[in-house]
Amino acid sequence: MIDETVYTLAPAIAELEAALGKEHVLTDYHQRAIRTTNTSPMGLHLWKDHMPDLVVMPGSTADVVAVVKVANKYRIPITPRAAGAGLADGAMPLKRGIVVDIKRMCDIFEIDDEDMTVTVGPGINMQKLNETLRPLGVWMPDDPASYPVNTIGGRIGAGGWSLLGTGYGHTPDLVCSMEVVTPTGEVIRVGAGGGRKIRKSSVGYRLKDLFIGHQGTLGITTEVTLDLAPRPEAQMPVFFATRSFHDSHRIALGLNKSGIKCLSGVVIFDEQKVEFLRRDDEAWIPLPEWVKSAVCLIMYGTTPEVEAAKARVFEIGESGGGVYMGTEISEGDWASRHDRYHLAYHGRANGKIRLMSWSCEDAAITWSQLPEVRRKWYKVAEELVKKHPEHFDIWGMFMYTGNPFRPWGDYLTEIDIGVNELEMTPEIWADWIEAKKQIARISVEHGGSVSAAHGGQREGEVEISVFEELKEGQYELMKQIKRMLDPNNIMNPNKYLLDSAYADEEARA
Amino acid sequence: MTQQLSAKPFYEEKIQGTTVPLPLVRDCYAVFACRHKFCREVCPVYQEDRNESHTSYGFHAALLAISQGMGELGEMKETFTNCLECGACEIRCPNTLFAGDFYGTSTTTVDLVRKVRRDLVASGMPFEKYEEVKALVDKYLGYYYGPVEDLTKWAEGLDLKFGGETILFVDYFDAFETTDVPRNAAKVMKAAGIDFGILERPGATLGELLDVSLETFVEMGAHNVKSLTDAGAKKVVIINPHDYTYFTRDYTQYLGELPFEVVFFTDFLYDLLKEGRLQLTSEATRAVVSYHDPCTLNKICGISESPRELIRALPGVQFIDVNPVDQWSYCCGKGNASFKVLHPDVSYKIGAKRLQAAADLGAQQLILACPHCKDQLTDVGARAGLPIESVHILTLVAQAMGLD
Repeated sequence: MIDETVYTLAPAIAELEAALGKEHVLTDYHQRAIRTTNTSPMGLHLWKDHMPDLVVMPGSTADVVAVVKVANKYRIPITPRAAGAGLADGAMPLKRGIVVDIKRMCDIFEIDDEDMTVTVGPGINMQKLNETLRPLGVWMPDDPASYPVNTIGGRIGAGGWSLLGTGYGHTPDLVCSMEVVTPTGEVIRVGAGGGRKIRKSSVGYRLKDLFIGHQGTLGITTEVTLDLAPRPEAQMPVFFATRSFHDSHRIALGLNKSGIKCLSGVVIFDEQKVEFLRRDDEAWIPLPEWVKSAVCLIMYGTTPEVEAAKARVFEIGESGGGVYMGTEISEGDWASRHDRYHLAYHGRANGKIRLMSWSCEDAAITWSQLPEVRRKWYKVAEELVKKHPEHFDIWGMFMYTGNPFRPWGDYLTEIDIGVNELEMTPEIWADWIEAKKQIARISVEHGGSVSAAHGGQREGEVEISVFEELKEGQYELMKQIKRMLDPNNIMNPNKYLLDSAYADEEARA
Repeated sequence: MTQQLSAKPFYEEKIQGTTVPLPLVRDCYAVFACRHKFCREVCPVYQEDRNESHTSYGFHAALLAISQGMGELGEMKETFTNCLECGACEIRCPNTLFAGDFYGTSTTTVDLVRKVRRDLVASGMPFEKYEEVKALVDKYLGYYYGPVEDLTKWAEGLDLKFGGETILFVDYFDAFETTDVPRNAAKVMKAAGIDFGILERPGATLGELLDVSLETFVEMGAHNVKSLTDAGAKKVVIINPHDYTYFTRDYTQYLGELPFEVVFFTDFLYDLLKEGRLQLTSEATRAVVSYHDPCTLNKICGISESPRELIRALPGVQFIDVNPVDQWSYCCGKGNASFKVLHPDVSYKIGAKRLQAAADLGAQQLILACPHCKDQLTDVGARAGLPIESVHILTLVAQAMGLD
């Protein structure tokens, strides 16, 4: 059942079974196969290449320590996996080995609704957590598109971005402190200083940040204390229809600079996105043909705050040429934001049904650069579709405010492309990788970041991330840190091309 | 009346070794490529074991993996036992919610799980506890082939006739394990002045047949349809919600349109209530109650209002409701077939969690509309020592009508 490998698995499996229990060490083919993939397209022809040799499901910090120790002893790679809902292949093994599935670690250890924290295991789902918190009038306001399935551990590992981050902060901003098992099996606690529930301290280095967004390369979070917020008394989504991306872009700036404190997010739908929704979205509510683009915003706050802000918001939207789409679309679309960000079936309007997966580039781009980045991205995407019309489809762009706690400045800028995975070939995949590379390069050339949310480490973008975006010393420092914390290169090896950290060392030796 | 959005004829083609029929590959890919994985946290089994192999995503992705040269079916025989067949993942699936209408391709995980179990049995690779399930099937088929009078013993002293335009259909579980349920149903219908009869020899309707022998299931279904037709049925009142799914989804799929109307008893009684023919005047309970939606009724057939309306009409009741959509993630733990036999520990945990959720609301009684839920939650409540009683809705309706 187990593949031939360069390392010896049998004694490792025996030790893991002794430590975790046989039922939590999975070696069947299908158990491994379904834990190979994540939410971004990979091309089914590549599936086999990423199959782990086994899967373990630890139930405690001690279990995780045991797994890491065994992995070090036998030099077997580890890939931590939470929900597997990531869009940057973080949980996809590059070197097979052991997938550490942390979803059993889903306890709520403490809810403190006075100091406003909750302490949980990394495998808990955010929606389930908030169902428990709801009666106390508090919530954990991390709100990704994958909210109904995602887990805290995955959010931390990927450095997650939240649809409400502009109002409430993103995942990294919501972690007070956490327990981490390092790549050599030590258990440490990192936070703002040493206090578990402290958000701001001046003591020590900012080490907590090192263990957020590392994509499983520096450790496994086994317990975390998170920041809570009062549940908002009022929420109001507002969608404005516009005649062009240009109009939406200008309205968004007006909203960015409005000074409205309860503004928790602004989203631009560009012309191609509206066109795509018109032809493909099952829940599309017909709009007049003049509607080419849209800008939406969400306000969360007390009732008087939201009521007062409403007048100002309408003034900004309507003076910029926006037309309010009404409560049905505004509230309905906002309410369904987690439910239909991707379906596999496409082609409703033209009757040609195609099964396609969803690729989502997610650069961080400042407001001023959006038009030019958009123009260049489409040029790349259009060339790709022209060459392979049966394999790719342009699904338009969204731009979301990305600055934590402040509704201005940078935007998570997303171009969505449909990918025909079922009929993918290595040659067409190579063209796709090249297109991704060009898209990533454009982001960096415009002073942006390759990824605001997912990680910028997939094939095609990772070279741009590490060799161009992080070239001013950051990547070199990353390599040193990786080597120091993970001397045996156990944790998610070669993510961010970090095998090079060890190659440098070998070359020096 | 429920309708099945996408009965999938390609489920009838067997998966053999490593060969997966192409339409099934595309169907599995549609779930795999969605990857929202909303089928996960809504799944009562997953909530306990946290193993994504046991979810709709896991099942579909595993079959897709076979088609891509990774694994073979026999290896999955135990994996496919980890499903309650409750239907939560089907309705939570975005393919069902949003694409089903347009593309006619809603997700049908329950049917897929049954199909794979049957393929495994047919290929000589049954799951570990297959013999226990087979013994249960044999026991129920034994009822069918046994003395005919045994099948209606539950009705002793009620003076019911055989046949008629309205038939109360009583399955073997109700007839042999929870006789108070059909007895109360008959008493309530009589008290409401309904002219109805029963079948002398109903066929077996257990869900295990769909897991092991579709042929026998259909054979029993044909017998039921013929017997009801021959008995003069124009309206068939069903008291076991599992049966309601078989009649409305499976019989129609395999046997065509039914020549009579099929109605679940809560809908039937609620209609009587609205017509003023159901006199609920006696105090049935002073307890604080909540209602548990049976999975088959709520998730598979979409019936959730009539039981609630009946509860609200009970004199003296204090009703704390949990809406049916929130109950998608609940189950009593018994399952649509033999889950309790196959996974007793997980089954118990699911049931205990459900009862605890009701107890946390302050409910003293959890009202049920399914004999299997009643059986399971009564067991679980006793074992867990929870201060909450499981009560079938017909018990309370009968009491409210002043019946013994």
